[in-house]
Amino acid sequence: MTKSYGEVFWILVVAGAITLVGNLVGFKINPADALVGMLLIIAIVMVGFTLQQLLRRIGVQLPSIAYISLVGILITYPAFPGSDWFFATIGKVQFLALTTPVLAYAGIAIGRDLDAFARLGWKIIVVALLVFTGTFIGSAIIAELLLRMTGQV
Amino acid sequence: MSDILKDWKIHLLVLAIVIIAEFIGIRKVAIGPGTALFLPMLYALVIGILLGPRFLKIVTDEEMERASPLIGISVMLLSAKYGTTIGPAIPTIVKAGAALIFQELGNLGTIFLGLPVAVALGLKREAVGATFSIAREGSLAIVADVFGLDGPEGRGVMGVYICGTLFGAIYFGLMAGFFASLGWFSAKALGMACGVGSASMMAASSGALVAALPNFKDDILAFAAASNLLTGATGLYASLFLGLPLTEWLYRTISGDRSRPGQAKAEPRVGEGKGGKGGGKQ
Repeated sequence: MTKSYGEVFWILVVAGAITLVGNLVGFKINPADALVGMLLIIAIVMVGFTLQQLLRRIGVQLPSIAYISLVGILITYPAFPGSDWFFATIGKVQFLALTTPVLAYAGIAIGRDLDAFARLGWKIIVVALLVFTGTFIGSAIIAELLLRMTGQV
Repeated sequence: MSDILKDWKIHLLVLAIVIIAEFIGIRKVAIGPGTALFLPMLYALVIGILLGPRFLKIVTDEEMERASPLIGISVMLLSAKYGTTIGPAIPTIVKAGAALIFQELGNLGTIFLGLPVAVALGLKREAVGATFSIAREGSLAIVADVFGLDGPEGRGVMGVYICGTLFGAIYFGLMAGFFASLGWFSAKALGMACGVGSASMMAASSGALVAALPNFKDDILAFAAASNLLTGATGLYASLFLGLPLTEWLYRTISGDRSRPGQAKAEPRVGEGKGGKGGGKQ
C-alpha cells in the first residue's frame, strides 16, 4: 500500500531541496538559514507517517495529514518545550514556497486528464461562487443566532 | 533510492518550474473592492500542464503516471508546516466565546449551497472536492492525501482553489458589502463571517464591511481576525472529519452516484513502489 520508508524519505528530501530553492528565489531566504527548518519539517512528516503506519496495524485508518499536522501542532503548542524555537525555525520555510512544488508535480500529473479539467470550465466558477457565499452566510447565520440567544447584540 | 534516480527528470523539471514560478513571483491586481492574486503555485500548475504530451511533449505519458504519487508525498511537507501554524493559536481558540467557535460550523455552508448546484450542473465526484470546504491550501492537502490531486476530486478542489486565488478576494469584498447593506445581520456576526481561513479574503470582506459600517470598525476587524485564526486552525480537521463525510453522504444521496471515492486507481498508485505489489504498474 505504501512506498517504502526509504523511498518516501528520499522523495521528501528531494522535494524539500526544491522547496528551499523556491524559498530563495521567491522569498530571498538563504537555504542555509532555512535548512534546519526544512529538516524539522521532514522529521515531523516521518514521525506522523510512522504513527499512521503503526496505528493502521491496530485498525485505525486515518489519512496521514491528520497525524502529520497533529505532530506539527504539538511541537508548536506554547506549553511544549522549545515551541518558540520550533515555530521560528520552521518559519524560515515559507508556506507558499511549499505549495509551489506540490502544484508543479500536480501540473505534470494532471496533463493526463486535462480534458476533464477543462470541461469543468464555467461550471466550476459558478460552484466556486456558491461555495464562497455558503461559508459566509453559514457563519453569519450561526453567529447571529448565538449572539442573539446570549443577548450580545 | 532507485525510484528517485528513475524519476530524476520529473524532479529536475519541477525544480525548473519552481525557479521560474517563484521568479515571476506574486502579482497583485487591484479590482474593485479586492485584489486578484496570481501566485507562483498557479504558474507552476500551468507550466506543468504545458510540459505534457498535449502541448510541449517534454513529459511523456509514463512520466505523468510516475509524477502522481509524488504529489501525495510532497504535500506531506505542506501538512507539517500547516500544523506548525496551528499550534500557537490553540490557547486563543480555547479562550474564544461560544458564538465564535460554533460559527465555524457555518463553514459547512459551502456544502449545502454548492453541492446541489454542482450536481445539477453535471459534476460527478468533482463536486465532492469542490464543495466540501472553501478549498484553500489545507483542502488541497486533504484531497491530495485522501483521494489524490489528479483524480476527479482533485479537479474539483483545484478548480475552486484557482477561482479563489484569482477572484475570491474581490467576490468576498462585494458579498460582504452587499450583506452589510441588507441589514439582516449584526456587525459582529458579519465580522465573524469574514474569517474564512484566507488572509486575502478576510481582508477584502472585512474591509468592505468597515466601509459600509464605519461605526463598528473595531468589532468587525477584531472578530474577523479571530475567526480567521480559528478557521485556519480548526478548518483542517473540521473539513477532514465533518465536511468531507457530510459532502460524501449528501453527494450519494442527491446524485445516486455510488462510484468509489478517488476512483480506485488513484489510491493504490500513491502506495505503489518498490515494496508494493511486485513493483508492477497498472
